[in-house]
Amino acid sequence: MRGIDLSVPRGQIFGFLGPNGAGKTTTVRMLCTLLPPSAGTGLIDGLDVDREGHEVRKRIGVALQEIGLDPVQTGRELLELQCGLYGMSPEDGRRRAGELLEMVELSDAADRRTKGYSGGMKRRLDLAAALVHDPQILFLDEPTTGLDPSSRKKIWEEVRLINGRGATVFLTTQYLEEADELCDRVAIIDDGVLVAEGAPAELKAQIGTDVVAIGLEGADPAGTRAALEGLAGLERIVDGEDSLALFVANGAGSIVEIVRRLDQAQISVGTISVSRPSLDDVFLEATGRRLEVGETTDDEGGEEEG
Amino acid sequence: MVGQISLLGKRALRETIRYPEATIPVLFIPLFFLAVNIGQVSETFPSSTPFLNGQGYVAFQLPVSLMFAVATATSGLALVTEIENGYFDKLLVAPIHRASIIYGRLVADFARGVGGAALVLLAGIAFGAHVEAGILGAIVLIVLAALFGVAYAGFGILIALRTRNVQATNTSFLIFFPLLFLTPNFVPFELLTPLMETLARINPVSYVIVGLRSLIIDGWEWDQLAACLGVILAMGAVLTLLSLRAIRDYDRD
Repeated sequence: MRGIDLSVPRGQIFGFLGPNGAGKTTTVRMLCTLLPPSAGTGLIDGLDVDREGHEVRKRIGVALQEIGLDPVQTGRELLELQCGLYGMSPEDGRRRAGELLEMVELSDAADRRTKGYSGGMKRRLDLAAALVHDPQILFLDEPTTGLDPSSRKKIWEEVRLINGRGATVFLTTQYLEEADELCDRVAIIDDGVLVAEGAPAELKAQIGTDVVAIGLEGADPAGTRAALEGLAGLERIVDGEDSLALFVANGAGSIVEIVRRLDQAQISVGTISVSRPSLDDVFLEATGRRLEVGETTDDEGGEEEG
Repeated sequence: MVGQISLLGKRALRETIRYPEATIPVLFIPLFFLAVNIGQVSETFPSSTPFLNGQGYVAFQLPVSLMFAVATATSGLALVTEIENGYFDKLLVAPIHRASIIYGRLVADFARGVGGAALVLLAGIAFGAHVEAGILGAIVLIVLAALFGVAYAGFGILIALRTRNVQATNTSFLIFFPLLFLTPNFVPFELLTPLMETLARINPVSYVIVGLRSLIIDGWEWDQLAACLGVILAMGAVLTLLSLRAIRDYDRD
């Protein structure tokens, strides 16, 4: 991490975005007191994460990227133990575990060992375990990585519900759609450096143009770029991987002219598409690279495993 | 902290009950050694042998088997598995004393040790041994063996926390061989070769074996029991302190 300075207001869902290896998990581990900051300070609710770790831990709930479940215990046992570790009596623990199992829709699977849970079920149980003490601040480190779209949406619903009850949520993700969907504000990090911060709509509005994405599919980037220079309303062209992004004032209105110019230059490209700016375009503008990762799921999404 | 230790200890015991495949081999080995050793040398050392005090050779071997039964890397392996699957982080991020994670494991080690030692003692009795110090002596024997198991568990826990590696933690059983075999495990000190006698007398674990054996063969030999307890407490204190320091400094040094 290099010189990151962030402040997250109470009650918000704050997104911390960046590619793999950007430093998101390290930041979360520092804020959760698992790693000491090598320099600088982190304050949670006014408490120093390094010097007042025990007090910080009482106030935060944490679901790390690596799902921390004990495979030997049932979902209910795991939550009841977690309640006990947060100082609840056995009766309160049983009641709270029941409430949370219902909230994450795992009541039916509550008395089965967690090793038989699917990826989506494990994520939801891990989220429930982070909520036993009704934390004021919830850290979610890539809570939907590896999940299928329907499991991802369930997690989103739960995050909204938790936030609706007043908790501040600090969420890391590499999915831009997730940040766009959930977050009040986002910070984009790349290689340990903060490259953009603000509300998703604000960040996208700052670009101020439409984006015409050209998939080159083998066409010469320099030749394509040369053919399109001087296009009406063109602010800039950013190179991508076998693609070009044209930031233009009127994307739809420019398509005819773009096709005409490419035709004249006898350049054949794979695809041309127009979109409003996305957070990926914000990242592209700041770093010259695309952030969007593939929607890979590692077979974790189904409701149950053998 | 007592509540946290109790919760984590119960969880560790639940783990033992639900994974019998991890416990059964641990108990099979001492019973196997006991049967084989008796079968091989009981005629060499008949009950008229002076150091057997009228009992069969099984009585002499029984303490070694008891220590086999309790000296395991179970806690270390469970801990390193937890580190690998991420549950350990979940515990570290809870507002609990880090030490309770270690003590919870040791509580379970004690309970497992009591169960394992009782089973091996019953097997020894079935093979013809009796405890000269009586029923109370048998209880003390089981408790001392279980405490030795708690002390020994520190090796596995320490290696687990320092290496965070299952294979490395698994190899902690290698410590077992010099500790338990450079001792008067087959014959008394006086009958060992001079070199082996010197090594055995240096090895503190010898005094644990001698102390446990005294309850079975001789009755209440207070000096030998005091040495046995002293070694167990010292070993337990050193390894537990090192483990507590390792968990305190985990990801912080």
